[in-house]
Amino acid sequence: MIKIEQKPFQEIVDCIQVYDHILNVGCGGCASVCMGGGQKEVNILNAELEMYFDEKGQNKEIGSYTVERACNMTFLEELDEVVKDYDCILSMACSAGVQFIAERFPSKPVFPAINTVAIGVDRDIGLYEEKCRACGDCVIGYTGGICPVTRCAKGLFNGPCGGTNEGMCEVHKDIPCAWYDIHERLKAQNRLEDIYKIREPMEWQNQVQRAVVHPDYAHRYMEEE
Amino acid sequence: MDNNSEMQVDTQKIRDLINQDKSMIKLMLKVCAHCSMCAESCFLYVHSPDDPKYIPSYKMLNSVGYLYKKKGNVTWEDLERIKEIVWDNCVLCTRCYCPLGVDIPRMISLARKICRSQGVYKEYNT
Repeated sequence: MIKIEQKPFQEIVDCIQVYDHILNVGCGGCASVCMGGGQKEVNILNAELEMYFDEKGQNKEIGSYTVERACNMTFLEELDEVVKDYDCILSMACSAGVQFIAERFPSKPVFPAINTVAIGVDRDIGLYEEKCRACGDCVIGYTGGICPVTRCAKGLFNGPCGGTNEGMCEVHKDIPCAWYDIHERLKAQNRLEDIYKIREPMEWQNQVQRAVVHPDYAHRYMEEE
Repeated sequence: MDNNSEMQVDTQKIRDLINQDKSMIKLMLKVCAHCSMCAESCFLYVHSPDDPKYIPSYKMLNSVGYLYKKKGNVTWEDLERIKEIVWDNCVLCTRCYCPLGVDIPRMISLARKICRSQGVYKEYNT
């Protein structure tokens, strides 16, 4: 799922301090699961903001609302009547959700209260690890389920660099070398030939905005040739 | 859940939320023919076919349906039970299908909204 983390408090304050009526919108999806932007986090941030502005002698109204999923416009419909009473929207959804909110309410300034960090996994409660960079051309089938784009500091595709040192990366002694791990895993599976082949350079697909059209629904969105 | 056990459930707020969509809720509950075709469209049910609590119509009838039938006069225990249905038994993937046109995801979403209005929602810290 998407993993997020809250922006520094002062950065959030700097965005919203010129507005008197602020709506903080949380998300019940990924943001809630990683405890970064769900209903509880919205309540906590609002309490902190109210306390901050009270101390500054600034009278502000800070409302709260949590949608089930900010990345689906259907779930944003219920905000239509709510946002009318506010000057700006602060959102704790991931950047995709924040952009969708901004798209739905183009006349309202919309600010993210979080940084979208990664597509990642739950190592444990409160510990989330990046696993994927959404490059668009997944090669982990050939690399033993280990992503060289995410795990290798240099994003190498055909083996380790000269800096690999006893299984660790030259960037930091505590960072495992991705290609060492890839080699060891494939060796255990008797599949080393997968990385002995020289593969074409990856055509980086995440440099421009992409859209995914499910083949079964292509007829809805694409003109027939 | 961030409510105080001594606090009362705000039943009026629940009624207000139900009344906002009363005609839709009434229609959806009436239209449901209990045909269970929605069951096949829920991947959670497909993987737990012996547990009827994963059937989308069950989830709808025992969340919004219950709130509607009780006219919002529910207890914290009721809300906790509904929370389990609409969060633990449903991921709101919106893939459930109803041949009669019942908008099940919308109903589940409404149940969650009502729970949230009372400070009842799933937390991910356990």
